[in-house]
Amino acid sequence: MSSQNTDPAAAASTAALKGSEAGGSAARGSVTKRLQQELMTLMMSGDKGISAFPESDNLFKWIGTIDGAQETVYEGLRYKLSLEFPSGYPYKAPRVKFVTPCFHPNVDEQGFICLDILKDKWSALYDVRSILLSIQSLLGEPNNDSPLNTAAAELWENQEAFKAHVNSSFQS
Amino acid sequence: MEEELMESDPVEISSSAQFLGGSPAAWATVSAALVDPGSSASEQCVSESLAVLCTSGLGRHLGSWLLNTLQMRLATAVAPEFWAGLEQPENEVEERDRARVLLVAFHTLLEKLEPFIGGLEMLGRWQEEGRCGLSGPGTHALRDRAFTIIRARLLFSPPAALQRRVLEFYSRTFSVHMSQEGQAGDGGAEDGEPDDGGGCPGCAGPAGRCWCQEALGQLQELSGILCRLQLLEQVSSEAVTSIMHKLLEQRMEQHCRGEYERSFLLDFQEWLELVLGWLARVFASTEEGAGTPRATTPARGAPGRASGSLLQQWRRHMHQFFCRVYVNMRIEELFSIIRDFPESKPAIEDLKFCLERTNQRQQLLTSLKSAFESRLLHPGVHTSDILTVYISAIKALRDLDPSMVILQVACQPIRKYLRTREDTVRQIVAGLTGDADGCIDLANELSRADPVTLEMQDSEDEGGGPEDWLPDPTDAVKDKTGSKRRSSDIISLLVSIYGSKEIFIDEYRTVLAHRLLHQLNYNTAREIRNVELLKLRFGESHMHYCEVMLKDVADSRRINANIREEESKQGAGPGEEPQTPPPPPLALSAMIFSSEFWPQLKEEKLELPPVVSQAMEAYTHRYEKLKAMRTLSWKPHLGSVTMDVELEDRVLTDLTVSPIHAAIILHFQDKSSWSLEELSAKLGVSKETVHRKLALWQQQGVLREEAGGQYSVLETGSSRERLERSVLLLDSDEEGDSNTTTQLEQREEKLQLFWAYIQAMLTNLESMTLDRIHSMLRMFVATGPVVTEMDVNELEAFLQRKVREHQLMVSAGVYRLPKAN
Repeated sequence: MSSQNTDPAAAASTAALKGSEAGGSAARGSVTKRLQQELMTLMMSGDKGISAFPESDNLFKWIGTIDGAQETVYEGLRYKLSLEFPSGYPYKAPRVKFVTPCFHPNVDEQGFICLDILKDKWSALYDVRSILLSIQSLLGEPNNDSPLNTAAAELWENQEAFKAHVNSSFQS
Repeated sequence: MEEELMESDPVEISSSAQFLGGSPAAWATVSAALVDPGSSASEQCVSESLAVLCTSGLGRHLGSWLLNTLQMRLATAVAPEFWAGLEQPENEVEERDRARVLLVAFHTLLEKLEPFIGGLEMLGRWQEEGRCGLSGPGTHALRDRAFTIIRARLLFSPPAALQRRVLEFYSRTFSVHMSQEGQAGDGGAEDGEPDDGGGCPGCAGPAGRCWCQEALGQLQELSGILCRLQLLEQVSSEAVTSIMHKLLEQRMEQHCRGEYERSFLLDFQEWLELVLGWLARVFASTEEGAGTPRATTPARGAPGRASGSLLQQWRRHMHQFFCRVYVNMRIEELFSIIRDFPESKPAIEDLKFCLERTNQRQQLLTSLKSAFESRLLHPGVHTSDILTVYISAIKALRDLDPSMVILQVACQPIRKYLRTREDTVRQIVAGLTGDADGCIDLANELSRADPVTLEMQDSEDEGGGPEDWLPDPTDAVKDKTGSKRRSSDIISLLVSIYGSKEIFIDEYRTVLAHRLLHQLNYNTAREIRNVELLKLRFGESHMHYCEVMLKDVADSRRINANIREEESKQGAGPGEEPQTPPPPPLALSAMIFSSEFWPQLKEEKLELPPVVSQAMEAYTHRYEKLKAMRTLSWKPHLGSVTMDVELEDRVLTDLTVSPIHAAIILHFQDKSSWSLEELSAKLGVSKETVHRKLALWQQQGVLREEAGGQYSVLETGSSRERLERSVLLLDSDEEGDSNTTTQLEQREEKLQLFWAYIQAMLTNLESMTLDRIHSMLRMFVATGPVVTEMDVNELEAFLQRKVREHQLMVSAGVYRLPKAN
C-alpha cells in the first residue's frame, strides 16, 4: 500500500515546479515576440548612430552600439554596450552597461549607467530604441548632480580638457 | 534377342554361370523371360528356374543385371537408331511427313524399350510377391531407375533436330487446336509460316488435304508414348514453353499495345483457358496412355494425378508469364498511359492487378522516372503541360498504388524540376482559379473535394484496427514523414512543391488584385467563390488578406453609391448655390483599397488634367466626410475611362481606355496641337510612354503626327474606315501590363530589409561568417507579408554584390563593415 503511494508533498512540488516552468516558458514566448518586434522596429527606423543586435542566438542578450553625437566631446567615438533583458521584460527594465570604457559623470568604471529610465522611471512603453537614444543624449548632457564618476563630473566644466581626456583614454 | 543379349554381355553371363555352378539353364530361362515378357517360355518353367536361381543366391542380381542390360542396349542400339530415325534429310519432306517421321521414331523407340519395361514390371512383381524368397526394391523403384537411365541416355545431350522437330510439331498441333476452338484468326499466322491462300487455317495444308485430324491423332499418340516412357516433360516442356511465350507475346503486341481504354484481363483469361485446353491434350493424355492394357501397375493412378497437377502448374506458369509480359509492356508505355489518364483507367487497373503478382515495382519506378525526364522535363515543354501531366500522374498512380509510394518516388523529379521553373506558381494559381486554358482539372479539384472530409478519412484510416495495417513497400522513401503523411490530394501535392503555402497565397493575392483591378465593375461573385474554396484548403487565417481585398471592393461599391447620392443631393440642394452647377462632367467612381492588405501596387506618376483631379478632390472630400480620420490616396494610372470623342465630323462613342490615354486626349481639348515634350511635361510621364500611348489615338485616326514631333487632332477624318475597327483594339494595348509590383521588385524590397539587419549585426558584432549571418537572419527576421526565405547561396550572392559596391568587406570568409562607415 505504502509503496504505491507517492509523497504528496513531493508530487505537489514537482507539479508546482512544472507549472511555473510552463508559465515561464509562455511568458518567455511573449517576451521573445516583443523583442523580435523591437528588433524589427529598430531595423526599420534607420536611426543613425545607434544600433543593436542580439549577440548570439539568445534573443535576451544584445550588443548595442552608440556613436557619440556630433558637437559633443564624444563625437567620432563609438561605444559598445551590453543589454540584458530579464524574463519579466518589458515590465522590468533591461540591464544596460557600457562594454567600452566610458569616461562620463554618470558611468562608473565597470560601465554601469546611472539613468533614471533604467531604474525607477522604467516603463514598459520604453524600448531598445528609446533606451539607446536616451543614453546617446545622456552622453552629451550628463546629470552632474548625482555623479557616479566624480572626477568626470568635475572635469565636465572644462569641455576642452574633458574632450582631450576622453580621446586620450578611449580604447575601443 | 536373347542371342544379342548374350553377345553384348558375355562376361556377366559367364561369370554368373560359373558362380552359380550348374544352373545356367535356369538363368537363361529367367533372363529371357525378363527381356522378352511375351516369349514362349511358360510361366511354370520360369518359376521353376527362378526358384533354382534363388536357392543358389542369384536372385538378387536379377534387378541390376536387367538395368545394366537396358543401359547397354540403349547405348549401343536403341539410341543411335532413334537419332538416325530423326535425322533424315528433312528438307525433302513436307511438314506432314516430318511429323510422321517424328512419331515413327518415337514408336520405334517405344517398341525397343517396351520389352524391358515389361521385364522390369515382371521382376518387380516377383519381388513384391516375394516369390521364392526374392526380394528387392519393387516395381516402382525399378521403373524409376530404368526411366532415369533412359532419360540420361537419350536426353543428356539431345541433338538440335529433336528440339526442332518437337517444336514444329507442337506448333502445328497448337494451331490446329486453336483453329478448332474457333480461334482461326490466330492459329495459322502465328507459327510464322506463310498461310497459303485457301489452306486450312489449322494445318496450313492445301485445301482438301487437311491433316488437322491426323495431327491431333499424332499428338495424342506421341503424348501417349512419351508418357509411357516418362519422357513427356523432358521432351515437350521446352517446346511448349517457347511456343506459349512466343504466342503470348505476339498476341499482346497485336492486341494491347497502344490500347489503354479497354481491360484485357478477361480476354486473356479466356484465351489462356483455350491454350490450356491444348496443354491438356499434350499432357493429360497420360491417362489414356496409362490406360493401355499393358500398364497394369499399381501406380496407375499416379500419372493421371500428376498430369492434373502438372496442368495446374502450367496454368500458374502461364498466368505468371502473362502478368510479367503485360507489366513489361505497360511499363514501357506508362508515360503515355498517364498522359491519357482518365481514358486509360482500364490499363492502369490491369497493370495494378498484374503488378501485384510480379516483382517489378522497381523496374516500373526506374523506367517511369527516366520517361519523365526524357519526355517531360526539358525546356521545350510548357509549364502548364508539365503540370497537366503531373496531375494525371497523381491521379493514375494513386489508383495504381494506394500506398502512394510509386507516386512519391516517381514524381520526385517532376517536383524538383517544377521548382526551377519561374512560372510554376503562377500556372498553378491560374489553374486553381480557372484562368488557365488547359487545366480545368485544378479548378474542378478545388471545388470538388473538401479537405475536411479528406482529413476525416485520414484519421479513420489511422483508427482502423492494427490488423489493417500494411507495411510500406520496400521501395518507399525513408523519410520521417511516414506513410500516413503521404498525401494523394492533388492540390496539397502541388502546393507542397515549394514547401510553403505562403508563396501560393501571395501569388494568389497578386492574381486576385490583377483581376479586381482589371474588372472595375465590383462584380466579385466568382472571386468570392474562389476565396471561399481556398479558405477550405489553406485555412481562414491565410486567406485573410484576400478577404479584406474582396471586402474592399464591396465597400467601395457602397461608398461610391453613397457619394453619388450625396452629389446629387448637393446638386439639387437649395440654398448653397442657387445656380446649380451642371452635374460634374465626369462620373467618377472609385475602388478603395486598404493599402495594408493589397499587394504593392506599381507606382507610376501621372498628372491628370485639372477637370479630373478636381473631381478626385471633391470625391476625396466626400469620402473624408463619410469616413472620419481617413483619406484617399489616388493611383491615377490605374483604372479605366469610358469616353466619347466628338470631332467635327464624327463621334467615337464608348471608348474604354486607360487613364493616361484619356488624359492625353483631354489635353487636346484645350489645344489642338502638342509636341511630345509638352505633353510629357504636362503629364509628368516620360516621353517614351507618351509616345507609346499616342499610338493608340493615331491608330484610331484621331491624332496625327506632324513634322517636328507635333501631334494634332484630325478633326475631319478621311480615314473613316478606321472607325470600323473594333473598340476592342483599344483594350488590347496594355493587356499584358501588371499593375502590381513584380516579384523582382518585391525581392528587392526584401533584400533591403535584410541589408538593414545585416548592417546592424555587423555594426554590433563586428565580423561574421556567411553561415552565421544566414542563421541570424533566419532567426531574427520577423515574418511579415513579405516572404523572408532566402537560401545561403542567394545570400552569398547578395553579400558579394555589397562587397563589390564597397559597402562590405570580406576576408577569409568573414564579413565586416568598412571602417569609414
